[in-house]
Amino acid sequence: MAYLEINNVTKTFAKDSYAVKDFNLQVEPGELVSFLGPSGCGKTTTLRMVAGFERPTSGRIVIDGKDVTDVPPNQHNVGMVFQAYALFPNMTVAGNIGFGMKIAKKPVDEIKTRVDEMLKLIHMESYGDRYPYQLSGGQQQRVALTRALALSPTILLLDEPLSALDAKIRVSLRAEIRAIQRKLGITTIYVTHDQEEALSISDRIVVMYEGEIEQVGTPFEIYNFPQGAFVADFVGTLNTTKAEVVDPEKQLLQVDGVLLQTAEGLDTQKKGDIVTIAIRPERLNFVSVEKKANVLDCTIENITFLGSVVRIQVLIGSNRFYMDTFNNPFLELPRLGDKDQVSCSREAVLVLKH
Amino acid sequence: MKRIPIGSWIIFILGMLYFFIPLISVFEFSLRKLRGIYSFEAYRLAFIDPEFYRNFGMSLMWAALTIVVSLSLIVPTAYWVHLRMKHLRPVVEFFTLMPFVVPAVVLVFGMARSYSRISFMVELPVLLIAGYVVLSFPYMFRAVDAGLRAIDVRTLTEAAQSLGAGWRIILFQVIFPNLRTAILSGVFLTFAIVMGEFTFASLLSFDAFGPYMEETGAMIAYTPQALSVVSFLITWACIGAMQHLAKGAPGQFAGTR
Repeated sequence: MAYLEINNVTKTFAKDSYAVKDFNLQVEPGELVSFLGPSGCGKTTTLRMVAGFERPTSGRIVIDGKDVTDVPPNQHNVGMVFQAYALFPNMTVAGNIGFGMKIAKKPVDEIKTRVDEMLKLIHMESYGDRYPYQLSGGQQQRVALTRALALSPTILLLDEPLSALDAKIRVSLRAEIRAIQRKLGITTIYVTHDQEEALSISDRIVVMYEGEIEQVGTPFEIYNFPQGAFVADFVGTLNTTKAEVVDPEKQLLQVDGVLLQTAEGLDTQKKGDIVTIAIRPERLNFVSVEKKANVLDCTIENITFLGSVVRIQVLIGSNRFYMDTFNNPFLELPRLGDKDQVSCSREAVLVLKH
Repeated sequence: MKRIPIGSWIIFILGMLYFFIPLISVFEFSLRKLRGIYSFEAYRLAFIDPEFYRNFGMSLMWAALTIVVSLSLIVPTAYWVHLRMKHLRPVVEFFTLMPFVVPAVVLVFGMARSYSRISFMVELPVLLIAGYVVLSFPYMFRAVDAGLRAIDVRTLTEAAQSLGAGWRIILFQVIFPNLRTAILSGVFLTFAIVMGEFTFASLLSFDAFGPYMEETGAMIAYTPQALSVVSFLITWACIGAMQHLAKGAPGQFAGTR
């Protein structure tokens, strides 16, 4: 039995306008699952329903075998971290961390010990007497995290916790959050619209679009095998184009008269059907480097230097594709307008299901 | 070289003269009780009158009751409007402006006419306090509203809820302490208004400092001017207290951006 079960949950705010539609998810104990999607896709609403701040229009939410769908938020025993930190400005760091325990009427000594333990966990032992306004954004969010953890909640919910921080702190703090989560083994739901954040921190990712789940999978699955056009487009950079099925048995497709072979089954297709195919930029390479199953003539249209990676835009037939290659200062790059050949394996040609 | 803003100084000085000349004149007049010399005789006479203390005390009591009722009404209302009914804020704001639109004398007659048949409403100072609460609406609501706008009410409420807090704890331990300055501003403004109010107390026949000043002024000279100066000093003391207490409120407007 899963630790968190979200069963057939739907939420409507206005008639016939779905914020979340028929959401189903099982989360295992100690798992970190990210809800990833653009603004308005329903990820925060789903999280808020798990926290008890919103009541589902239909469906049930079960935590550790207990149905909490209609339980008030102050009896959910979930830890919540907000994008805006939400530290209580009138309380010190120690006051904030101990707030939940104080409400639970824990003995003063126990509160003090736990607060010290939490401050140690985030390496802020000497900050107990400070007020939130005396801390940086990153420090405030770390305090907010330990405040949520102090009561040993059943589930930790993080609602875009790093969105208000600058890029460098985001990267270090997300590693810290993941390390703490692993150390405590707490089941965690993490809401983000940042694909890199979701890919780097999650055990599994739930990609959402317009209130519905598009795909659930490990970061590896989501990135390498997107099932639909939305996931393919939203997660990472992807070359997509329409292709005609030439021979379903031999898994042959045709794009602008150029034949391509895929490793994916085309059993449900028949000759002449039009499908959407996708190729990741890093799965393409120049034939001069390595020749694979599919070879395509191309013209170099643009070259962009991205640091560790060089992104080359090539024209294949009438389609513009991106090709990523590692930056190598000793390797000569092609020139704009050069005619060349690129290659990709059969496995690199993905046929999107919807 | 830095230029001296002469124009600004002239405007500032004119403003100060406009404000202080009448006040200094009243003060100067209040010192002329004894012929030919300046003295505090008018003040001494005011302060030895037991009626002064009785009426002043009554006004203090009306002010305290008004503050309690006004806070109990305005703070939860403003909080709930910010938390759940943001679209109703302009409506609530409109109603709080009533004392600026409806004159006190109209309000008191309307209330007396509507509720005079209910005996306890007339015998007890229910109508008086209700009227004062209405008078305090624009100041109390605006002060509390400004305080609530400076904090992220919804997120703080939800953060407290997720930590197990119920409504009472949220209000008294999370929201109220972060509205300390705003609530104090509303409290002192209400206090100053009630201490100087005349119409309600006079027409509803309750003893208060305002009617006492008026009655004294009808009978004797100099002492009412001394009382006016005292009234001014009370108002200023309130404003000073407001500013003093607004300082050193830790984390008042930080941390929830």
